[in-house]
Amino acid sequence: MTARCPSDLALERHLLDPARSPLLAHVEACPPCRERVARMSAEGEHFRRFVFPATVDAVLDAASEPRRRRWFPLVLAPVGGLAAVAAALVLVLRPPAGPPPDYVGTMGGPITLSVFTPGAEGPHALADGEAVPAAAALRFKVKAKDCSLFILSVDGAGAVTRLFPAEGAAAVPPPGGELPGGAVLDGIAGPERLYAVCAGRPLPWGEVERAARAAAGGGADRVRSGARLRLPENASQATLLLEKRP
Amino acid sequence: MAGERERAAEAYRTYGPAVYRRCLRLLRDREAAKDAAQEVFVKLVRDLSRLEDPEVALPWLYRVATNHCLNQLRNAGRRGEEPIGELELSGGAGPSFADRHLATSVLARFDEGTQAVAVGVLVDGMGHEELAGVLGISRKTVERRLARFLEGARELIGVTP
Repeated sequence: MTARCPSDLALERHLLDPARSPLLAHVEACPPCRERVARMSAEGEHFRRFVFPATVDAVLDAASEPRRRRWFPLVLAPVGGLAAVAAALVLVLRPPAGPPPDYVGTMGGPITLSVFTPGAEGPHALADGEAVPAAAALRFKVKAKDCSLFILSVDGAGAVTRLFPAEGAAAVPPPGGELPGGAVLDGIAGPERLYAVCAGRPLPWGEVERAARAAAGGGADRVRSGARLRLPENASQATLLLEKRP
Repeated sequence: MAGERERAAEAYRTYGPAVYRRCLRLLRDREAAKDAAQEVFVKLVRDLSRLEDPEVALPWLYRVATNHCLNQLRNAGRRGEEPIGELELSGGAGPSFADRHLATSVLARFDEGTQAVAVGVLVDGMGHEELAGVLGISRKTVERRLARFLEGARELIGVTP
């Protein structure tokens, strides 16, 4: 074949349903690709015969375990309703409290973080410091320009939880409107501070996580005081404190 | 809960081979790939809903598996257990042999995002557009990270392009 051969990922799609795969013609006419598919099929067979039986119990146990937090497909309300509430209630959150003396400083464009939770009359935009059920479901909306976003939280026990994006080492540009997915709080009473961090240059998650751990390290009072994360100058931040009630 | 276990088992049956193959491709060792596939799927089943649509699930599990295995390679390299240079690089058109050789030599020195791009292009032979979709980043970002990787790699080993 002279056409560019498909990637492994494309061949994985092919193997899910070879009969209806758009790659079928290419694979049949391309000896190297036929060989790749044959090898992948053999590896799949090895998985089914040996790997699956040896590992499935551990995987299913993990699926059954209660989780501290997780992303979930959440529909709070019809989109129109949410948009209307959002338009009325979007909060421009206060910036984090003043930096410590050794703080290197933050700059960058403005960022707003809005957090919603389901209410009796539809989504409710949460105010800074507002009490919420300890296992409340949350949705997020961020306004920021020309930057890549992480949303994370820290709690009084010093735990740092990444909320957006769910996977990957790098932040991603904030999509317009509400963010996909959401988060469920862990059900443990106490303060929980959410941060939205948006940086104009690639900002590794590890760097953000380290900064968050440093901010969370002082216990509940430190979380409530809203320490600014020590991040590079081009990282904008917004924060919101929630008080989780039993 | 029983329903969730059944869904997880079905997802593992469907996508487990893809995760295992991905891990085998990167780790080059059946036993390590078996353990890695299990560990990756333990992560994946925490969000079963994302495994329902193959168009969503495959790029996602591919990314999670890639990151997991790259972490393993990086950690093993740090411990001096396993050279990362065992990766089998993509052939065909695209990066030159010299560029691909650079990949195996210095991959571990870069952050995860850059590694993912380098592996996607240089190991998997993925197009920039396809890789951008898998990683959830723009094509320009793919190109920028690849350029940064190649430039940094050359600097690291003192090679001029």
